Amino acid sequence: MRKVFVVLCLALVIATPVFAQGKAEAGTVTIGSAIYKFDDTFMTGVKNAIVAAAAETSDAKVDVVDSMNIQATQNEKVDLFITKGVNAMQINPVDRSAAGVIIDKAKKANIPVVFFNREPFAEDMAKWDKIYYVGAKAEESGTMSGQIIADYWKANKAKMDTNGDGVLQYVMLKGEPGHQDAELRTEYSIKCLTDNGIKVEKIAEDTGMWDRVKGQEKMAAFIASQGDKIEAVFANNDDMALGAIEALKAAGYFKDGKFMPVVGVDATAPALQALEEGTLLGTVLNDAVNQGRATFMLSYDLAKGKTPTSESIGYTITDGKYVWVPYQQVTKENYKQFK
Amino acid sequence: MYILEMNHVSKSFPGVKALDDVTLQVKPGTVHALMGENGAGKSTLMKCLFGLYTMDEGDISFHGEPVKIDSVKEALQLGISMIHQELHLIPYRSVMENIWLGRFPRKGGAKSPFIDHATMYDMTEKLLAELNLTTIKPTDLLRTLSVSKAQSVEIAKAVSYDSKIIIMDEPSSSLTENEVEHLFTIIRSLKARGVAIIYISHKMEEILKISDEVSIMRDGKYVGTWEAKELTTAMIIKRMVGRDLTNRFPPRKSNPGSELLRIDNYTSPNPRSFKNVSLTLRKGEILGIGGLVGSQRTEVMEAVFGLRLHSEGKLYIEGEEKTCNNPYEGKKLGMALLTEERRATGIFPVLSVQDNLLIANISSYIKRNRLLNVSKMAADSKKSIKDLDIKTPSAKTLIKSLSGGNQQKVLIARWMLTTPDILILDEPTRGIDVGAKYEIYVIMSELAAQGKGVIMISSEMPELIGMTDRIVVMSEGRVAGTVDSKNTNQEEIMELATKYVG
Amino acid sequence: MSANSLAYTLLGKRTAKQFVMDKAIFLVLLLLVIVIAIINPRILSIRVMRDVLMMSSTKVIMALGMMFVILTGGVDLGGGRTVGLAAVISASMLQTPDYVRRFYPGLGQIPILVPIMIAVAAGTLFGIINGLIVAKFKVPAFIATLSSMLIIYGANSIYFNMAPNNSQPIGGLRSDFTYLGSGSIGFMPVIIIFAAVVSVIVWIILNKTVFGKNVYAVGGNPEAAAVSGINITKTLVGLFGLCGFLIALSGVLEAARTGGATNNYGSGYELDAIASCVVGGVSTTGGVGTVSGVIAGVIIFSFINYGLTFVGVNPYWQNIIKGLIIVSAVSFDIRKYVKKN
Repeated sequence: MRKVFVVLCLALVIATPVFAQGKAEAGTVTIGSAIYKFDDTFMTGVKNAIVAAAAETSDAKVDVVDSMNIQATQNEKVDLFITKGVNAMQINPVDRSAAGVIIDKAKKANIPVVFFNREPFAEDMAKWDKIYYVGAKAEESGTMSGQIIADYWKANKAKMDTNGDGVLQYVMLKGEPGHQDAELRTEYSIKCLTDNGIKVEKIAEDTGMWDRVKGQEKMAAFIASQGDKIEAVFANNDDMALGAIEALKAAGYFKDGKFMPVVGVDATAPALQALEEGTLLGTVLNDAVNQGRATFMLSYDLAKGKTPTSESIGYTITDGKYVWVPYQQVTKENYKQFK
Repeated sequence: MYILEMNHVSKSFPGVKALDDVTLQVKPGTVHALMGENGAGKSTLMKCLFGLYTMDEGDISFHGEPVKIDSVKEALQLGISMIHQELHLIPYRSVMENIWLGRFPRKGGAKSPFIDHATMYDMTEKLLAELNLTTIKPTDLLRTLSVSKAQSVEIAKAVSYDSKIIIMDEPSSSLTENEVEHLFTIIRSLKARGVAIIYISHKMEEILKISDEVSIMRDGKYVGTWEAKELTTAMIIKRMVGRDLTNRFPPRKSNPGSELLRIDNYTSPNPRSFKNVSLTLRKGEILGIGGLVGSQRTEVMEAVFGLRLHSEGKLYIEGEEKTCNNPYEGKKLGMALLTEERRATGIFPVLSVQDNLLIANISSYIKRNRLLNVSKMAADSKKSIKDLDIKTPSAKTLIKSLSGGNQQKVLIARWMLTTPDILILDEPTRGIDVGAKYEIYVIMSELAAQGKGVIMISSEMPELIGMTDRIVVMSEGRVAGTVDSKNTNQEEIMELATKYVG
Repeated sequence: MSANSLAYTLLGKRTAKQFVMDKAIFLVLLLLVIVIAIINPRILSIRVMRDVLMMSSTKVIMALGMMFVILTGGVDLGGGRTVGLAAVISASMLQTPDYVRRFYPGLGQIPILVPIMIAVAAGTLFGIINGLIVAKFKVPAFIATLSSMLIIYGANSIYFNMAPNNSQPIGGLRSDFTYLGSGSIGFMPVIIIFAAVVSVIVWIILNKTVFGKNVYAVGGNPEAAAVSGINITKTLVGLFGLCGFLIALSGVLEAARTGGATNNYGSGYELDAIASCVVGGVSTTGGVGTVSGVIAGVIIFSFINYGLTFVGVNPYWQNIIKGLIIVSAVSFDIRKYVKKN
């Protein structure tokens, strides 16, 4: 008896989305959207932008699902979308090398796909003409955060080069090791400095796992071990940058004229607040709203069976299948426009 | 007239009727012995009284009032407490905490969350002094106490409940003679206070010495109640067994051959365990190991099989010196051990009879392609079930649904499949009904007749005397003597078993 | 194992070897300090001590909560997510009025205790539910809290994603709130005082109250506890509730310390807390564990984390070293209890 009950419940749960699907009105297009994981601040922003853009239309419905940071789960969600017969898919791959398999599935079912935020390999993108990509060039975020420090160094060299050796001693708070964004941001932020002709020396590097608490704890250890040698702090995202600022505050920075240039990436609300307070030197906006909007506009056209053009979606399409949403430098000068 | 009456009590477990219309009447201020063979239903009856089991039928009256006891808490509140065979104590806590657990004195009223440690200490000290247990300190951690002291703590705990009835289930089994005498002093003082003691023990002399009345049970049935002073050991045994001893064992022709296994001077690294144990087992022989519980019989045999360490001593198989440091090596030397705790270390309850039968021998069913030979497995398990007359609906039945006797037969069959030369059986008939016991005796006889050596550890004297060729009696970890089964009696064995006690 | 040999095992003789074994983890810590000090002597400073203690503060409170559950032979896998829940709830109501992206734009300056109490109550409630499930339905704590881990995280994410916040990190916390996490009275950081006070209270609960003794009894030998007429359900519900309370409190302080919160706060903290307890001698089989042991375990862990970063050990290696320390600590610990001979 109990087993029957459980089975009935399960059947009901599984069937609900199917029934809901069945109720969709004629003429409405359905778009399946799979996010790599929901508890990513930035992707939540993209997701919200997608949902908002869909709400502006009267005939599109977006079905957003969580891949829970597991590629296998995402593939199952894609299968589900195909079974349900969605008109187009938006996929934010967990693992960019897995895109090929998804493209094969989509091509077989003739459902166009817009990948976003994590870029599939070029050879996969070339497999079919109904494959698009929306994203930012990850290295750009690194370059921009490096540029903020470079500009500051050039303007305040006397103050910033505390030991007067002409070399910029920095510490790096990396995101999850091996994460594409973490590696690219780390590499390009430093490359930007050297491209600007600045001599740099890395005195400490550790992973803060994108996490504010860990950022704070690692920074505390850096300060204790390196002391005044630190001349700049790079963080792969704002959460870690803000954690580092808390640790710096505890060590007496940001008062009585003691300053430390700290940069992050993402331009989150608390980061903007820190810019206003003058503790954060700068951050880089990965434009969630425009990434989400462009993703939706592309897939909306595709779902309706149209071939999208730069004019129809309002974003420039390069090479017939790429939409690049630029990063933006955010500093004390311009932060107000992002609030 | 009676402080406690249990009338027409019945209780069944799957496959066995543990209690069948049992009566027990206890007078206040007396020691009432409850006797019967293992599996006669004494412990089950007491667990019904203590609220651990629910009776299927029957009623209990306490002080002449009918009562219903559904939980331990109710039993304790009525004034019934129990000292268990297996100690119910918390090893990493102090003596006083163990005694007052569930009833801690509190600072400032019964509702206060805070424990009054000083009062608790005083209460414990007073209680221990009353019972003459002054060597135990209230703050001692239980784990630092010897087993007998831990048991004394358990008795103190029962006394502390201000109980009208204290059930003592084998309280003397791990106590030395002095400690038993001490226990009796405590019991007498409890009697004087009007407390009734229900005393379960196998030790006839103790029973006759301490008890006022004796109730006897057999196979889950009530046999009768007598005044202790009217009884003799022989009368008790006769009523417990209920038939002539000769019928209980299959006839067997004993014809021991050459030496099969010999251990020489086995000594445990644990100073409290066995020391200087030497014994010999011959082909076709059934060797009994007797002694009190706690005399390290099990430990020696586990050491022989490699389950336990020994620091000194040599092992000879057919005269050749061998080493055996773990059960795997033991198995390779042709030994098999049927452990004492059938449920804990014997059966795999949720596996089938077949899986349970074949587990020790599973590697012999591996085919050349590394898979198991399923058809041979099925055939072998079918054969075992038939040979040992295991009563099971099929080989696929889960073993947990079989009766204790049939589970035991499965375990014996398991080890027989490994074709051992030496089979060590630790309490093979404990908790098994009489019919199944006989069948197990038959199996043992057959194994001996095939020229295998069988070692049987048993607490049941009649079984030891009736089934074996020779009996090695252990006392306090040492061999107290070896007797010829045909020319011995219980008194001699008991005397040897207590040789080094105290 | 027979009763006799058990007694021997438990009794044992204290030898030098055993002493080393008993204190192995402290020797490991000492060794680590020495090695790190050789590489960089600056580790031996008051500042580092203060940093490590501050880092340990919230973790001590959490680990003490976790200890209650481990004392009964279980674990609270939802602990980390409870930290996140409490951090988000308290932070969401304690933003400065002039902060731009406020969680509750219209919310006035409410007394600081109100949000803290709401956050802690939420944690306690989830704890009590865990306790009821474990006690009434006999679900192993491992499974019950695995479920609550998912449920708490889901609930927290829904809350965190509510408009107008839409999953933005919560920042701009009031200074009277962040004072709890980063302020100090004289040289003594407030958060360390917090941890000390909580430790003392937990010590009193465990050692001076009936409830505490019952926790040890239920953990040490549930059957004996039942036979002694202890209300096991009440004890389990109480201790899970207390566990939820303490973990939520640590979550609130974590938000105050870092000056922000996201729904991802506390992710994986339960494993650190379990590891700290185990390293501090809390037996996973139940019934054994002390407040001082847990504090030592947490500090050892914080020191390892801090020290490895301090000397710049590669993050991948940090994980390997931490893993080795946990497994060796536990193997020594288990040997103390289950040596058979």
